[in-house]
Amino acid sequence: MNEDKLVSTASRLTTEIAPERDLWPGIAEGIQAPRRQSWAPVFAQAAAIVLLIGASSAVTYVTVKGQQQPVTQVTPELMFEQTSFGGRYNLGPDFQDARAELATQLDVELAKLSPESRAEVEDNLEFVQKAIYEINQALAEEPNNALLQSKLLMAYREELSVLRRVGGLTRNVMMRNDI
Amino acid sequence: MAALLTATCSDYSPEMVTTNIDMVADEAAWIRQAQRSDARAFEALYRMHVDKVYGLCLRMTGNVSEAEDCAQDAFIQAWNKLGKFRGDSAFATWLHRIAVNTVLGRIRKSKREQDRIQAVSDAATLSFIKDDAGELRDLSDAVNRLPSGARHVFVLHAVYGYSHDETGTMLGIAEGTSKAQFHRARRLLRQQLDDQGFEA
Repeated sequence: MNEDKLVSTASRLTTEIAPERDLWPGIAEGIQAPRRQSWAPVFAQAAAIVLLIGASSAVTYVTVKGQQQPVTQVTPELMFEQTSFGGRYNLGPDFQDARAELATQLDVELAKLSPESRAEVEDNLEFVQKAIYEINQALAEEPNNALLQSKLLMAYREELSVLRRVGGLTRNVMMRNDI
Repeated sequence: MAALLTATCSDYSPEMVTTNIDMVADEAAWIRQAQRSDARAFEALYRMHVDKVYGLCLRMTGNVSEAEDCAQDAFIQAWNKLGKFRGDSAFATWLHRIAVNTVLGRIRKSKREQDRIQAVSDAATLSFIKDDAGELRDLSDAVNRLPSGARHVFVLHAVYGYSHDETGTMLGIAEGTSKAQFHRARRLLRQQLDDQGFEA
């Protein structure tokens, strides 16, 4: 059989085939559970990121400082003003604009969520922002510590990533080269 | 029939669903009802499309029980994703895409594909699709013996008529890769059929 005839013959193969048994009972059982919420994976990812950053930041902080510091109240509004430690890693105005825009969008998106989901998102963001704050505190004393600088950049990127995912935004977000 | 088209889905009895699936049905209405979590409407959609979905799963997996599992999973995923269906493509095409993803996902997760290939290679002849007859059955069996990559491309392109661009998108491969796999499939099929003494 030549290849052209072969392809021609293939187009005549049956495309609709009845299963030998009724598959509906298994499907009916499978769809009894509530429809999966698309937010669930986002929360799972955000929670995983936050846990990773929190643990990493805590280890770094303890290692660098060598002793426990008093717990400090987080003040998110001041976050970006406090990030001028380390001359090579100043946050540019574009980055701050993008963050502010995402934060504004976040408020809109949060308003659409259930109270439980909203609280979860806010907790996650507070967690990552607290990590940023603590790294900044450490950097205030050791502004040229490359490890801390790297952690800070990573934390900011993750914060933006969480904001973007929560907001479901599709616009381009500032990446490391924009900082 | 008129009653079928004008009734709401909650009016359908299972008998109505099963006895009217081969008639022209208001698919769009069933989709809307199913999007509002009406399982009976979704059953109607299932009965309308199960042969297409199962057929694709069977052609791609070459295994009856695997195809049944894939078809079931595909419809369950369709139910979960139904809210996102906007009618940009035909519902059948949308289901096909879900079915292909289901097949590929199951193959990645399972080593049963390797078992299947071994089982098929051990079988002298395997006529698993009774609907095909004569030379079609021989070709069908030959397709089933193809390596999975070539088989998937051949089934989607040659049997179901998707373009290489569409085939590549559905399988997550480049258009050029789809073409290369298709040529490989043709060559392997011709060799198989030549070995069995088929004439042009």
